[in-house]
Amino acid sequence: MTTVLRRGRNRVRRIRAYAADLWSRREFAWYMAMGNLKSRNASTALGLLWWVLNPLLLGLVYFIVFGLIFIGNRPEGFLAYLMSGMFVFQFTSMSMSGGANSILQNSKLLVNLRFPRLILPVAHLIEAGVGFLASLIVLFAMVIPTGVVPGPEILLLVVPFTLQLVFNLGLAAVVARLAIPFRDINNLVPYLNRMWLYMSPIIWPLSYLDRVPRRLALLIDLNPMTGFLSLYRSVLLGYPFEWSALWGTAAWSIGVGLVGVVLFVKYESRMARYL
Amino acid sequence: MTRPAISVQDVSVRFRPYVDRKPTFRKTLRRLRSRELTEVEALSGVSFKVEKGEAFGIIGRNGAGKSTLLRCMARTLRPDEGKVVVNGKISTLLQLGVGFNPELSGGKNIYLGCLAQGLRRREVDDLYDEIVAYAELEDAIDRPVKTYSSGMFSRLAFSISMALEPDILLLDEILAVGDEGFKEKSRTAMEELLDRSGTIVLVSHALGSIEEFCGRAMWLSSGRVMEIGPSRDVVAAYKRWVAGEAKPAVR
Repeated sequence: MTTVLRRGRNRVRRIRAYAADLWSRREFAWYMAMGNLKSRNASTALGLLWWVLNPLLLGLVYFIVFGLIFIGNRPEGFLAYLMSGMFVFQFTSMSMSGGANSILQNSKLLVNLRFPRLILPVAHLIEAGVGFLASLIVLFAMVIPTGVVPGPEILLLVVPFTLQLVFNLGLAAVVARLAIPFRDINNLVPYLNRMWLYMSPIIWPLSYLDRVPRRLALLIDLNPMTGFLSLYRSVLLGYPFEWSALWGTAAWSIGVGLVGVVLFVKYESRMARYL
Repeated sequence: MTRPAISVQDVSVRFRPYVDRKPTFRKTLRRLRSRELTEVEALSGVSFKVEKGEAFGIIGRNGAGKSTLLRCMARTLRPDEGKVVVNGKISTLLQLGVGFNPELSGGKNIYLGCLAQGLRRREVDDLYDEIVAYAELEDAIDRPVKTYSSGMFSRLAFSISMALEPDILLLDEILAVGDEGFKEKSRTAMEELLDRSGTIVLVSHALGSIEEFCGRAMWLSSGRVMEIGPSRDVVAAYKRWVAGEAKPAVR
């Protein structure tokens, strides 16, 4: 009984020490993320502008392609719907692919220095988060002329953003953990991302849900991305708010966040062996 | 009696090399079933102590386990058996420019490198000028690091490690950094570190500099300690062994 208690107390102490260590390195994570942001397009003529241009061009491509597919029955406000969906999805997919690479790319750091390894996926998360916020500027620039003017409820953006941040962290941590012994994961991630994109209400309008088979519709409902999109669209574009989306995404975020971080941290001491 | 700076106690490390030279489906399956088959012993039962104020050399052939041992001392690799006890703040220079982003300027990389070693941003602010001056980079500090010559790069990396004022410095094969002037300077810096009872562990193939710089040395072969003692004796023993090993190949 007492040993169990002691073990529990030890674990709490270890978790606290890890969290303190992580917190003390926050400046490193931030600096590394900003450095990567700047350096990614350092040798291009337009430089940082690409962080806005990339989502803009991507949205344009999808708009033209899917505008053609849905010609005639394109729902009202489809552009905003499509773009918001793409940007939100990209935040998660970039965190995931970045997380998968974060450990392998920084193997030199890992081998040489002792620090909480979670810093590396966190730095990628910061990078993806800043990219996402930049893409929201593009979104506003596109929806405001169409009459959708965000009011003070825009401040609620913090809610889905925080939830998605936690979700992405967990996901990035799981993928990073798996990609160390099984590099095959890196080959798999792009396909998973593609599949996930098509299974989420992004490039097809929500009204399509009525037309797909029940089982598939259930799967799409369970998809955490569906909930995130619903929350974001209610905040950004004035779509009806659903409590179920909030509870659903909160559950997903806490679950995935916790599992991901625990799996990752437990594996830390063995990471250097595979590099 | 003060505690030793580093105490390595009966350390063994085994690797399971993940990459097969010719992976086949069947081999993969077999490996998944029994991982032990492919184990490689990198270090077995290595024990030694390094005292404060001492410069300790590690020599041995490629693949003898020197770098693995340094990683254990840097505590980035946890040994399968045994333990490593370290007393003091460690700075590692196992590889040059760890944490650098070559696209960014030298100045930005000073921040990256120092933050990676665990410093706070404010502390880096205070050290910044000193590092720039020490690295002798002057205006080049604002240029991206990818444009640096290898000498400039090494100077910057070494300056960062020294500016952290470590108690223990782990060096892997980099004594030959920069031009003669900088070599002299880095040697002075390392002697200063020893004078304030700091500790240096040096891995090198340059037997001359081990003999000259280190009081004691250790010779590793296939993950085992062959000899520990005054660096002159150990280097001499190693040289004799290498000469003996080389003979059949000459014939």
